[in-house]
Amino acid sequence: MSAFLAVMKKELNSVLRDRTMVIAIIIQLFIASFSSALLLGLLALYDPDTVMQYSGSSVHVGLVSPAGDPLQSYLSARGIPTTRFSSLDSAERAYYNGRLNAILMVPQTAGGLVDIQLYLADSDFAPIIRTVLQTPLKQYENYLRAQRGVVVRYTGLQGKPATAFEFIYSVLLPILMFFPAFVAGSMVIDSLTEEVENNTLQTLLSAPLSINGIVNAKICAAVMLALVQCSAWLGLLWLNRISVQNSAWVLGLGILVAGITATGAALVAVLFRDRERAQFVYSLALLAAVAITTLLGLSPVQTLSRLAIGDYYTTGWNVALVAAFLAVLWLSLSSLAHRLAT
Amino acid sequence: MHQILTIAWREITRLRSRFGGASPLAVILMLAVLGLAAFALRNGAALGNGLYRVGVSGDVPTIADSRFAVVKVDPSQGQALLDQHAIDVFVDGSQVYSRTDQKSQYALTALMQTLEKQELLRVGSSYTYNLAFPLRVGINYLSSTPAAPGVAATPAAPVQTIIPSLTPPPAPFAQVIIALLYILPITFTSIFFTSSFMDEKINRRLVILLSAPVTPFQIILGKMLPYVLFALATTALIALLTHAPVLLALAIYAPTTLFIFAIYLMVPLFYRSFKDTTFIAMLVTTLTTAYLVFPAMFTNISEFAYLSPLTLAVKMVRAEPFSWRQYLLPSLPMAAIFGLAMFAGTRMLNEEFLMGYRPLTRKLTDAIYLMLKRARPVVSVTLMSLGMIPVVYLVQLVFLAIATNLSVGAMLGSTLVAAAFVEEIAKSLGIAVLADHGLVHSTGQLLLLAFLSALGFLVGEKLLLLVSINGVSQASISSVLFSTGGFLLVPLIAHFIFTSVVLLLHTKARFRYILALAIGTLLHALYNWYLVGGLR
Repeated sequence: MSAFLAVMKKELNSVLRDRTMVIAIIIQLFIASFSSALLLGLLALYDPDTVMQYSGSSVHVGLVSPAGDPLQSYLSARGIPTTRFSSLDSAERAYYNGRLNAILMVPQTAGGLVDIQLYLADSDFAPIIRTVLQTPLKQYENYLRAQRGVVVRYTGLQGKPATAFEFIYSVLLPILMFFPAFVAGSMVIDSLTEEVENNTLQTLLSAPLSINGIVNAKICAAVMLALVQCSAWLGLLWLNRISVQNSAWVLGLGILVAGITATGAALVAVLFRDRERAQFVYSLALLAAVAITTLLGLSPVQTLSRLAIGDYYTTGWNVALVAAFLAVLWLSLSSLAHRLAT
Repeated sequence: MHQILTIAWREITRLRSRFGGASPLAVILMLAVLGLAAFALRNGAALGNGLYRVGVSGDVPTIADSRFAVVKVDPSQGQALLDQHAIDVFVDGSQVYSRTDQKSQYALTALMQTLEKQELLRVGSSYTYNLAFPLRVGINYLSSTPAAPGVAATPAAPVQTIIPSLTPPPAPFAQVIIALLYILPITFTSIFFTSSFMDEKINRRLVILLSAPVTPFQIILGKMLPYVLFALATTALIALLTHAPVLLALAIYAPTTLFIFAIYLMVPLFYRSFKDTTFIAMLVTTLTTAYLVFPAMFTNISEFAYLSPLTLAVKMVRAEPFSWRQYLLPSLPMAAIFGLAMFAGTRMLNEEFLMGYRPLTRKLTDAIYLMLKRARPVVSVTLMSLGMIPVVYLVQLVFLAIATNLSVGAMLGSTLVAAAFVEEIAKSLGIAVLADHGLVHSTGQLLLLAFLSALGFLVGEKLLLLVSINGVSQASISSVLFSTGGFLLVPLIAHFIFTSVVLLLHTKARFRYILALAIGTLLHALYNWYLVGGLR
């Protein structure tokens, strides 16, 4: 047992001593900070409702429209301030006096196509104004359809802007929880193939430790690091007031997946014995695993997202399934590990 | 040319023996896995995959949205399932039920987006076009100043006419993912290239090769050639499979491919151990992905998007045109970096540098010395600061991406300091290395070099701006930068002073380089701050 711990300690020390772990943590910090930058962009530009919250009040629309036209009420209902003008000329004067950001001109029509003209400045702000106006214009379009006897269902639905929610739980959290697993696998391959290629494995075997013990110690060291990283991420998310339901299971899943990648990587290293081929096969296997689990509907990414948002049907049993897979993988590694020494 | 092909062929045979005659199998396996992954993820890569559960009963359009797991429920049970949080929304015919909690409200928004699409399809197919889409909105841009009286201020015809419900959101998340799909095999292949290089470096076959009658340039190009060709072939294949124009895709991705290979060439030249290489390669992949993706998210929203070649790919996927200048803006710096890396690589490829066991900073200064020593300092220093521009520009961009999540004040401050820091390194490092090797003899020569470095940097910077500003942005910015010809003199003098301060402190006052650099950076940052109006 003490030999096992010694190998594990050596692994951890070697990682912590040189810069590699620092780099891995920098990568993750970068991903996290980059994601929030991305989120900012997504929020501001993909979601008209969120755009409204940030800039809606500053979009002031001048309206030239026939009496009784409902467009004004659609705009006001979404919090866009409007002013009515009797002619385009007077609206333009107000625009050039800086009181308006855009002008909408609705023609007097009865049936047929309705041609609205939107006047605005050709600036970086134009796409935002267009995004903000999109929803009221669609409502107006539905009103015109209803007038012409075309029935559109599900028009009155109105929920909360979901982009941030979807991004955090389906992209950010899985990246943060599974990147440590990816690192763990690469680490195990490098560490094992380096021992083989530098002929240091034989020396290590002269210690009172079996080949299985050595491989397992390296896997444990890699998983330990993943555990530390995953816990740190959960802590940071908690500090940022991002709630993660079933956090114990989420952490457990993160560690189990790290166990799978580390064990799988060790298996690949045992079979190929040199880094170049092992890293290649490992990356391919990882990609294939992601693809196959997605096709089978067993994707750990989806399980993780669902656990984190408290999905009714996703429980510890889904995590147990992953654990069972890890057990199978580990057993096959145990029966093959002796090949590494020959 | 003949030597290059010989080395390329040797590389292929090496790969083949490495994979024990299984190399065709390995290639097929790799393509199969990539294809499988692309197939599995083509829908699954959407935002919010599998987050919501919706119960349906009665006549409801098909909900084909990867965000939803759909369950058929009995109308009587729907409400109960909703109440026990087993489903997030319940659709009964044309009625939609939800709860008031956050998750149900998010699901409702997502459902609304999906059903809206389905209803449009239904309406579009069961009514005539003009009845189904009765609204047209003409987009007109007003001139920036009011027109003279008597002249119509409004443009005669709209620049664009849209149908609101058929206008896709301007921002292209899905297309960015597709564009990123091309990058995956390129990175994959280049990691292979790194492995091969690393391997030959460790078993010293590279050194043996160097004693043969071939130049380092031929060695690098030859070893790189099979991988680059393979990467370009996968690009063409993906384009073919996704029905994109193949030649256009190649034109867009070729500079990116070269750029990625340039970076992966540097990794094995600098690092020695496997673990280092793996982690540095990961870091590099993350940074390049960020650099490629971040600007592209703003396609059609801000001209800033054209800093990334993925934007061009997004445009290609959306079948929208782009101009030559917009093509050159991301492509030129990438090609320039490739050229720089090739040059650096040929100078660094010698036994002493490859096998030396030294700290990274020392290796870096050695590399710079190797690059500069063969020409006269006057020429090499000017060219170096000119050539560093694309690198500086990429580093600053990546930094900007990180800084966006600081508060506005901190973001501005840190960006100004970081920009100054990177620029000061680019201008002074080469001269400092030359001075440390005793190649600068007098203070006068030092100042001359500082001046030339500042000049080279400024010329390069303005050239880049010339391409970018004219190519993409409005007249307002370029008028600020170029309207006054004498204005250029001030930055030239400023750049010269900062660089001279760094160099004099380092070589004459014997400050450590990093300390001298910090002082120069501080001065430069203050100057930047003054420029954006901080001291006024």
